Amino acid sequence: MEVMIELQKHDRKDLQKPLADAPLDVMTLLSMPDHLRKTAMTLCRLGRATAEEIAQQTQRARAVESAYSNQLVIMGYLKKERKGRKAYFYVERENHG
Amino acid sequence: MTFLGKIIAVHSYKGGTGKTLLSINLAATFVKQGKKICLLDLDFRAPSLATLLNVTKSDYWLNDYLNGTCEIGKVLIDSSDRIHNGGKFFIGLANPTTEAIRDMSAKDRKWEMRALGRLLALRNSLLNDKGFDYLIMDTSPGLQYSSINAIVSADLVIVATTFDRSDVDGTRRMLRELYDLFEKKTEIVLNKVLNASSSLMKENVQTKIKDVYQAPLLGVIPCFCDVLRAEGNTIFVQEKPEHPFTKILDGIASEIDRA
Repeated sequence: MEVMIELQKHDRKDLQKPLADAPLDVMTLLSMPDHLRKTAMTLCRLGRATAEEIAQQTQRARAVESAYSNQLVIMGYLKKERKGRKAYFYVERENHG
Repeated sequence: MTFLGKIIAVHSYKGGTGKTLLSINLAATFVKQGKKICLLDLDFRAPSLATLLNVTKSDYWLNDYLNGTCEIGKVLIDSSDRIHNGGKFFIGLANPTTEAIRDMSAKDRKWEMRALGRLLALRNSLLNDKGFDYLIMDTSPGLQYSSINAIVSADLVIVATTFDRSDVDGTRRMLRELYDLFEKKTEIVLNKVLNASSSLMKENVQTKIKDVYQAPLLGVIPCFCDVLRAEGNTIFVQEKPEHPFTKILDGIASEIDRA
């Protein structure tokens, strides 16, 4: 039910404005609720991934990961980019690699 | 089946628990077994590997890699000749100058986030591409940014702890409020244990591990005067292959290999 509410929220364009870029550092990860930390940590490891790819790592449903990732985008911790039908989530880190 | 390398972070709540001693000697134990090992000094507040391994000069430091001004290959120093008839041993050092320590302690959150990205990138560059078996990170004690970055990057966190009351309490809290939150595989090494072979102490150790830490025990290292007497001038397991300390490190290395 909670997931469905989240999904509905993400369909609403007025709620989709992301906040300013917020650094996804370890202290921020520590202060996150468990469910979001899991998604954020997985994306930190993968670098760039779809909700499906995150779900394969976390063993949670794709729709759940999609909702949590979108929530992290709105909070300003993640970036989202569409390529065709797929949406990719990533952590923006200048000069890394 | 191909063996994929692992990242190990050696951490503790308090200073002086033996993290650096454990890191160097664990790395050396693996190298003696013929493995390819990389030991990184991530204790930017109190760098010590450069002194302990007698490296007086380095063109590039880990500070430069995390600052994004050089690649990791330029930081690593081939120290394989330190271990006779062993595998490959590379070290990456933290800059021990006062200016560098001050500079690292003034980094902001965005820098720390990029540093985490560069630490995570080591899995590809060192383990996958360069074929290292283990990447061992010696960290600062407590909740330092650089240490938590290392913990997040690691596959296994070894927590060095002692029977000191404040250390026991702090370690217990870190287990619940740090390693567990990051879902890290964590194992305990109890160091500087007095009368480790007595049955009373063995019972005490088991009770502490089971009731207080509730985490697996990787090893118990008694308080060895010989190790203290060496004053960090030698790689102990290399110099004293028959010493009980060396045997315990062999056991810890085997346990990690088995996992």
